Amino acid sequence: MKFLLNNVGYFFKEAKTTIKVNMMSNILSILSTGLILFFAAIILSCWWISSEAVEALQNEAEINVYYAEDMDEISIENMINTIEELYGVGEARLVSEDEAYKRMEEILGKEAKVLKYLDENPFNSFIELSINLEEMESVIESLRNIDGIDQIRDNREVLEKLRSITSLLETFGYIFIAAVGASTLIIVSHIIRAGIFDNREQIKTLRLLGAPEMFISAPFLIEGLILTISGGLLAIFMSAFSVKYIYTAVTGPLPFIPLPPLEPLIRNLIIMIISLSIAFGILGSSLGLWSARDKQTH
Amino acid sequence: MNGTFLVCRRGVSYLIEAKEVYFSYSDGTVALKNIDMKIEPGDMIYITGPSGSGKTSLLKLFMGIEYPTKGILNVLGQPIVRGQASKIRQMRRMIGPVFQDFRLVMGRTAIENVMLGARFLNFAPKKLKENAANALVKVGLEKKMFSLVEHLSWGECQRVAIARAVIRQPKLILADEPTGNLDKDNALNIIELFASLKERDTTVIVTTHATHLIENIKEGKLIRIENGIICEERLG
Repeated sequence: MKFLLNNVGYFFKEAKTTIKVNMMSNILSILSTGLILFFAAIILSCWWISSEAVEALQNEAEINVYYAEDMDEISIENMINTIEELYGVGEARLVSEDEAYKRMEEILGKEAKVLKYLDENPFNSFIELSINLEEMESVIESLRNIDGIDQIRDNREVLEKLRSITSLLETFGYIFIAAVGASTLIIVSHIIRAGIFDNREQIKTLRLLGAPEMFISAPFLIEGLILTISGGLLAIFMSAFSVKYIYTAVTGPLPFIPLPPLEPLIRNLIIMIISLSIAFGILGSSLGLWSARDKQTH
Repeated sequence: MNGTFLVCRRGVSYLIEAKEVYFSYSDGTVALKNIDMKIEPGDMIYITGPSGSGKTSLLKLFMGIEYPTKGILNVLGQPIVRGQASKIRQMRRMIGPVFQDFRLVMGRTAIENVMLGARFLNFAPKKLKENAANALVKVGLEKKMFSLVEHLSWGECQRVAIARAVIRQPKLILADEPTGNLDKDNALNIIELFASLKERDTTVIVTTHATHLIENIKEGKLIRIENGIICEERLG
């Protein structure tokens, strides 16, 4: 295997020569690999974002309790104390009408001006409970047994909807990765086969000189890696740009959507695309070499 | 042949041993008949005969490019039989072949072609380049080292192919008509180069129909083949 290390420069030079010979098909395969990986990156980003959103919402699992409007302060205080004693409840606090109004102002952001058209504050005060998500069912059941409670609101419905979207994206993501893998392998293996065909005389000479198959294959493996990594880099640029654009577009009008931080998301995308590119490059070249293998000794 | 005598005394086995070897091509053309041959390390063998007599076919068998139809053939301890592709490939690493059609890689310089023959033989990269340059000097191509092989003449390409065989420091050189395209001076120079390899016990087998070049050889063995049969063997 020492000869592999001694010839790294030679392998790259040979790969460059093979790429130059079929320049146009190589450029086209880089573009198509880049596009395929870009679509995969976008699907995976959506999956990650929705998973993060579900997690964020789960961490913010809460129940809002609306009580009868005629209750006095002492009764409300007692109700808060009773609720706090329930198993699964972390904290219970009163959110006044003004605080509820301010919260909505923050959520609406620039659009908060619509609230000014209202004559009076339309929000009621309520008791806000932070709870252990796993105990949500039992907490709601216990709350229903407390006198004076008009309405109980929780975010289970939103969570369920998000969960189903996430699971759909996850399934779609796996299917897409499989499709991406298959198409990239086909593209790369065809390019490698074409390269082997163009260099068939050189390969035959090397075999007659006794060159190990690894020595003959190495430039083609490198060629496959150059193609997929170049496609991967193209996909990284396109997806990073697109994700940034989507973030800017979403965070303005929909500020309440809990998006994960942008930098780790892009970092994960880069790692994922480069890993996929390397794996597809090696597998695609190996497939090309295997399908073009010479069954004869020479 | 003192060299051969010394080798035999050391008990080294034959480099090539052919026993009643027959060979026919797939179209039925009979190329070789009843070949018996024992070649020892350090031997210098000249195989002569007219075109189509079976010289190239014999070298193809020695290289493991073709297999005997009948008989036993061992080259460098490796039986030349089907189903041993990987071992035959390893055996070829000990051979320095000079093909009749040279088999040089186009688009590469003379020195790159010479180096290509030995890149996978574990020479240190710096040493490999040095050896390739020396080999090209020996065959008189010091001024064409960095020329692309497609810009070289037929005779120059032949000398690049010879340099590629020599740089491998092989145990056996198989040269098919290596002087066919060379003028008399260059041809004698190549024959001398091959003869000098005897010093490191390299066996050289050269096919040629240019009998005038080997008429006056002092060392070596002459084998004459006609119609696929060895019809004459004599010491030089």
